[in-house]
Amino acid sequence: METDVEKAIDEILGRVDADRETVEKDLKKFIEYGVPLDQAKEAVVTKYGGVAHERQLKDITPHERNINVVAKILTVEEREVTVRDTKRTIHRGLLGDETAVLPFTAWKDFNLQKGDVVRIKNASSSEWDGQPRLSLSEWSEVEKLDRDIEPVQRTPQKLPLADLRPGLSNVEVRGKILSMEEREVTVGDVQKRVFSGIMADETGKIRYSAWHDFSLHEGDVIRIRGAYVRKWRGAPQLVFDEKSTVEKLDEAVAVRDMVLPLYKIVEAEGGVDVLTQGTVIEIRKDSGIIFRCPRCNRKIRDGVCEEDGEVQGVEDLRIKAVIDDGTGAVDVIFNRELSEKLLGKTLEEYLAIAREAMDYEVVHDEIVDRLLMVPLQIRGDSIPSDFIITLFAREAEPLQLDYKKEADEILSQLEG
Amino acid sequence: MREPAWRIFAAEYNDSQHVLKATEEKTPSYVLTPLGAKVNRMFIVGVLTDIEDIGTEGIRRRARISDPTGIHVVYAETFNPEAAGVLSDMEIPSYAAIVGKARIYEPEEGMLYLSTRAEVARKSTIDTRNQWIIEACRGTLLRINAMKDAMNMSNPTPRQLRELGYPSFIAEGVTEALKMYSDIDIDTYEELLREALSFITSEEKEMKKDYAAEEGTLLQIIGELEGEEGALWDAVAEEAVKRGMAREVMEEVIILLMEKGMVYEPQLGKLKLV
Repeated sequence: METDVEKAIDEILGRVDADRETVEKDLKKFIEYGVPLDQAKEAVVTKYGGVAHERQLKDITPHERNINVVAKILTVEEREVTVRDTKRTIHRGLLGDETAVLPFTAWKDFNLQKGDVVRIKNASSSEWDGQPRLSLSEWSEVEKLDRDIEPVQRTPQKLPLADLRPGLSNVEVRGKILSMEEREVTVGDVQKRVFSGIMADETGKIRYSAWHDFSLHEGDVIRIRGAYVRKWRGAPQLVFDEKSTVEKLDEAVAVRDMVLPLYKIVEAEGGVDVLTQGTVIEIRKDSGIIFRCPRCNRKIRDGVCEEDGEVQGVEDLRIKAVIDDGTGAVDVIFNRELSEKLLGKTLEEYLAIAREAMDYEVVHDEIVDRLLMVPLQIRGDSIPSDFIITLFAREAEPLQLDYKKEADEILSQLEG
Repeated sequence: MREPAWRIFAAEYNDSQHVLKATEEKTPSYVLTPLGAKVNRMFIVGVLTDIEDIGTEGIRRRARISDPTGIHVVYAETFNPEAAGVLSDMEIPSYAAIVGKARIYEPEEGMLYLSTRAEVARKSTIDTRNQWIIEACRGTLLRINAMKDAMNMSNPTPRQLRELGYPSFIAEGVTEALKMYSDIDIDTYEELLREALSFITSEEKEMKKDYAAEEGTLLQIIGELEGEEGALWDAVAEEAVKRGMAREVMEEVIILLMEKGMVYEPQLGKLKLV
C-alpha cells in the first residue's frame, strides 16, 4: 500500500511542479477521506495546475468531471436543440480510442470533423441510458493531433430493417434487393457510381444506396456488415460502401408485411411502404372538401393561390386525421380515392350535399361521424415534419378483429 | 412528438401514486402507474354509467365510465363544450369513447386525485369497446412482462430492457416505476387481466351471436318430438345436427330457451315447450 502511495507521489511530481512534502500531505488527506488512490492522484495533479491524466475511454464512468482523453471522431452531426427556450446548435456523435467507443455532445462548436484525432481537456461525463456520454462544454479544450488512432472495432449491431434509425452506424442487416438503379454522381472532383433502390426483410423495407459496385442484382439476398443509416428525403436510408462487407446469401427472404406499431414508425422518422393499425382519434379541421389551384395543385383559400394569385379552384376531397395505437401517434392524409372509399360517397355526391346545405362544413361533420374513433389498417409512406410524422396513405380499410381469438391468444401468453 | 393515447384500465390508472411533473415549459406532466405507463393522453372506451353537472359556471360535467376493472372519472369542461355536449346527449348506460388528458389534482403532498379531462367524446359501439379491451390487455401484459424482467435484474436500466426487445417508452417507464413504487403487486394485475379477458370471451357467447334462427328451429324440433312426456335431449340434438346445427350451439341455445322460460325440463334429460 505504502509503495502504491509512493509511486503515485512520484507520478504526480513528474506531472506538476510542487515539492514532495506538500504533495504527500495532500494526497494522504484525500486517502484519509476514503477517496480512491487514482482519483486522489488526479485531484492533487489538478490542484497544482497540472493536466489530469489522459484516460482510456473504457474507464470513464457517468458523472465524472475534468476528463482528458485522446480520441478519434468517428461520426459527428450538427443538431439544433432547445434548452430553456433558447435554441442552441450542438454537435454530437461518436468518438473512440483503442479501448472503447462513446457518444459525445459538444455544446460549443469545436469544428470537429469526422476522422479528426483530438486531445480533449476538461470534458465531463453524463449518463445516458445507463452509459457514459462525454460532454464538451465552453470550458473544454480541443486540440487536433497529427497522428492516427485505430479505434476499437465494434461488432456490428444486428438489426431488422424496421429498427433502422437515422444516425445508427456499424449495423449488420440481411435482406432482399427489391429494386436497383445505377447512376453517376460527382463527389468533389471524383465521378462515382451509386447503386440505389429498396431492400426488404421480414419486418419492413428501406431505401439503400451502395457507394461501391458489389455487383448486386434485383432479387439478391445479401448480408451487409458495417453499413450506416442516414436521413434522406425525410426517411432513413441504409448506406454502405467499400468499407462495408457484402455477402450474397443462398437463402430466401419472405418479404411479407408486418404490421408496425406506431412508435416504430415515429422512431424511424419516416419510412417507405409501411403497414400499420390505429384508431382515428382526431379529424383535423382542414378535412373535407378543399379547393386546389388548377396550375400548382396547392390548396387555395378564398379563391387565392399563394403562388398563382386569383384562380378558379378545383374541388378535391381529402381527410387529415390523427391515428393512434396507444404506443404512438401519426398524422394520416387520405387522398380523394381513399376518402371516397372510407366514407362510401364520392366527391360529386358530397358536392351535391354541400350545395344543398349551402355549407361545406357538413362534409367535415360526416367525416367525424364516420371515422372518429374507428380503428383502421393503413399502408403508406411516412415522412417526418416538425412535431409529427405524416403518413401518406395508399391503402386503408376499417380494421376487423376477431376478439375472441385475440383474447385467447393473450390468455395463453399470460399463462405461458 | 405527440403523446400517445394510452389504453389503460381504470384499476391500474387509479392505483397510481406518483406524478412526473413537467420540469420545463412545454413539457407535459405524466401520471406514472405502478406498471410503468407514463400517461399524459389516454383513450378510454367503456360504459357510461353516470353523468352529472358540477359547478355553477359554464359547462362542467363529470362522467363515470366503467371498464372491466373499475371506473374512469372523466371531466368535460367549459373550454371543451363539444365533448361535454356529446356526453350529455348520451343515454345511460351506453358505450362511450373518450380521448383525454390525465387530470391531476394534488391538494397536498401524498394526496393524489386522478381523473381524465375529455378532449373528444363519442358514442361508441360494442366492437370498439371489445377492441379497446384487447388493446388495453396487450399493453398491460407488455408492462407486466417488462416489470417481471426488470425485477430480475440487479440494477435495471432502460437499455437492458430495450435489449430484451421492449420499446423505449416502456423500458423507461418501468425502470422509473420500479424506483418510485416500493411494492408492486404483479399478481393483482395478472388477475385483473384474466377478468378483463373473460369479459370478452363470455360476452361473445351471450351478446355477439344472435340465435333467433336456431331458437326457432329448436322450438320446432321440440314441438315435433315432445309428445306427452317431453322430447329426449339426445333425440333433439340428433335432429338439430341433422338440420345443420353444431352440437355446442344446440346446447347453448337450449339453455338460452330455458332461461327465457320457453322450454323446461319436466324431468332430467327431457325437454318440453312451456
